[in-house]
Amino acid sequence: MNTLRNSMARTCQRTGTSFTSGFNRISSRQLSSTSQDSSSQPSSSSSTDNAPPSPSSQGYYKITLLRSAISLGERKKGTLTSLGIHRRMQTVYHPHSPEFAGKILAVKELVKVENVGKEEVRTKTEQRRERRPAKGFKVVDGLGNRDLEQL
Amino acid sequence: MFGAFRPTQANLGGLLWKTPWKLSRTRKANQRDRLKKVDDVIETVRASGVQCSALAEALLLPKEHEMLPRDKYTTFSPHERGYRKGIHKVPKFTRLTLRTNPKGF
Repeated sequence: MNTLRNSMARTCQRTGTSFTSGFNRISSRQLSSTSQDSSSQPSSSSSTDNAPPSPSSQGYYKITLLRSAISLGERKKGTLTSLGIHRRMQTVYHPHSPEFAGKILAVKELVKVENVGKEEVRTKTEQRRERRPAKGFKVVDGLGNRDLEQL
Repeated sequence: MFGAFRPTQANLGGLLWKTPWKLSRTRKANQRDRLKKVDDVIETVRASGVQCSALAEALLLPKEHEMLPRDKYTTFSPHERGYRKGIHKVPKFTRLTLRTNPKGF
């Protein structure tokens, strides 16, 4: 299965013309050669693909919903729900994986995506806390520090 | 008002719905921006290094700078003369991907 997927990906990589017989314009997009090179050995590239990324190198998608899915059907609404997005301008973080990549591409017209590292991932509470403005004062001393006899 | 099937005129109290035949310059500029934003999303997913069939399909779509203006602002219609109509006539066109048309149209 994996070798079939990899060989298909490598076919896409070389040129887009094999798939564009039904289209007006020939696309000049090509898959990047960051993870694979057509000249490299197939066995080594497939083994590195199947190995899960190390915790430090795991990237995340930072997904923000910019346009709603109102009137676009239950499929797209379901995709947004599965991404954990409930309202416009909500930001959600998901690890890099084919499942989330496919979901993002299903709603690519509605969404803004950024690749971030693990250290930039924030939960909902953390995002809320970061939105809070600075207090403008610093508590130097309070009643809690006094001795009880002095009161 | 004075007979059956008279079209109502705005100055007689009827409603007015007019849609221009083609997009204005502003709408065309906004359409180009929208296409670029979708290009950015696809590019981000590509740069993440993940591989999936949805990405392979998305990479076959033409980018905004590769598209003819005809493809950016009009879309295939089987009913119109010339088999093309303004893309703004498609409901929800600002949230749909309409980059490709049947071959030859």
